[in-house]
Amino acid sequence: MISFQHVFKTYSTGTEALRDVNLVVPEGDFLFLVGPSGAGKSTLVRLLIREEKPSKGKIFVDGVELGRMKRRQLPGYRRKVGLVFQDFKLLPNLTIYENVAFALRVHGEAENMIQSRVAEALDTVGLSGKDNTYPANLSGGEQQRVAIARALVHAPRFIIADEPTGNLDPATAWEIMQLFLRINARGATVVMATHNREIVDLLRRRVIAIDAGQIARDDRSGRYHDDLSKPQIRAQ
Amino acid sequence: MIYRNLRFALNSAWQSFWRNLAVSTAAVLSITLILVLAGINLLVGHAFSQVLDGFRAKVSEISVNVADGTPLQSVYDFQQQLAADPRVSNVQFITKDQALAQFKADPNNVVLAQQISGNPLDAKLEVRVAKLDDVAAIDTLARRWSGVDPTDPTNYQGDFVNRMLQLSAWLGIAGVGLLAILVVVSIVIVMNTIRTAVYHRRKEIEVMKLVGATEWFVRGPFVIEGVMTGLIAASFALALLVLAYQPAVERFRADVAFIPLSYDPAFMVSLAQDLLIGGALLGALGSYIGVRRYVRI
Ligand SMILES: Nc1ncnc2c1ncn2[C@@H]1O[C@H](COP(=O)(O)OP(=O)(O)O)[C@@H](O)[C@H]1O
Ligand SMILES: [Mg+2]
Repeated sequence: MISFQHVFKTYSTGTEALRDVNLVVPEGDFLFLVGPSGAGKSTLVRLLIREEKPSKGKIFVDGVELGRMKRRQLPGYRRKVGLVFQDFKLLPNLTIYENVAFALRVHGEAENMIQSRVAEALDTVGLSGKDNTYPANLSGGEQQRVAIARALVHAPRFIIADEPTGNLDPATAWEIMQLFLRINARGATVVMATHNREIVDLLRRRVIAIDAGQIARDDRSGRYHDDLSKPQIRAQ
Repeated sequence: MIYRNLRFALNSAWQSFWRNLAVSTAAVLSITLILVLAGINLLVGHAFSQVLDGFRAKVSEISVNVADGTPLQSVYDFQQQLAADPRVSNVQFITKDQALAQFKADPNNVVLAQQISGNPLDAKLEVRVAKLDDVAAIDTLARRWSGVDPTDPTNYQGDFVNRMLQLSAWLGIAGVGLLAILVVVSIVIVMNTIRTAVYHRRKEIEVMKLVGATEWFVRGPFVIEGVMTGLIAASFALALLVLAYQPAVERFRADVAFIPLSYDPAFMVSLAQDLLIGGALLGALGSYIGVRRYVRI
């Protein structure tokens, strides 16, 4: 379970990126974070993965307060969450297999364990057989699948994605979204910041709208815009 | 697991070293130069301390000239008094005859010895003082003794001894200062080399952090790369010094014969240790400082 309690984030530049955010995400939830550019979605994600600390307030993940986590506990925490980004963050000089294996390799896992886990993760994202291909030879959608496989290879309880379909065409975005739904169905909690209105409106999952650093709306089965009569005003 | 992490770090370091070959080479060459300078510094320091030890042995021995006609008992008493002094390690009485025999035995004095009639030499007490710093005090004591030859009391040259002491102190400080500067410069060089390596691998570092690598895992390859740079440079420096040492000593001895510089191969072993350990430490420290900021999770 994730919970935000009166979380504020002010960057050193003075920008108030988040203001009094309160939020509870139960185990197994699938949550969209929506809102215009600059609303604070990525800031929320960065707080959640402890890349940043809140200026005020507390964030709990599984009962542990992130702000109080020691630096040496951080690697263990990062293994509990799988991260997916808009720009994939694959290493171009490593093969697909090695990109996924990398996440296990940095923990000094044994080679036979790495082999079976990587094969399983690549199978889940539908990329079996592309082991020795390099990222540059893959389409955007395939690259994002590799990134998802890398996020999955630790069998994380949380998947946190920041605009994972932002660089993909609608059909590919939809395929990737199916993948996240499958992962969620297997029990992982998914938190996803997105701009993709069609997908949000079609899936009718929980939607949290952020506007100017504040939670404007939290709907159990929401849409991208709450008021369909004036979508242009909120659209961006 | 430690073995696998170490293998990963060694692999990464090796790749990084070759990928940034131009920068790596520049760093190796600069540090080689610095270590050569440091080695020369150590060698010169060692040679000087050897020479100085020779001088020390000589100047910590003073001859107290005994005036002709001093009763033998008085000489023995003074010899006893000196021998009992804790600052004195040894006293020897040389009679007039022995002094003359010694003088004649010295091949430098052959011509002079033939012209000598009778025995113009004083009997003397040869006093070996334990610490160089105490020679002046013993000299003062001897000059106050009633049996000393008033025209030529002792052979002590206070000025010379003091200057030697001062010079050796200054040389020691200068050597340490120079060494400190060289250490700082080489750490800065390694730091900047490693920063280049970090820059080339910034994406990899970012991904490492995101998938939960520990700080040491991220840092390891860079520290090893730094150690590698330091060790390679130390080997080069050592090779150069080994090749140049003996010819340099011989050349110096030919040019400046009065300074008894000696060739000491045993010192090379300790120099090799110093350079290799020093190179590795400098490399490790430089790269540790160089990446510190960038590996913060
Ligand atoms: N590292 C940072 N330093 C300073 N200001 C930042 C930083 N990251 C984001 N911001 C600012 O915080 C606000 C929220 O940004 P962000 O969380 O990236 O929004 P979103 O992801 O919703 O587009 C913006 O005004 C942005 O300019
Ligand atoms: Mg963003």
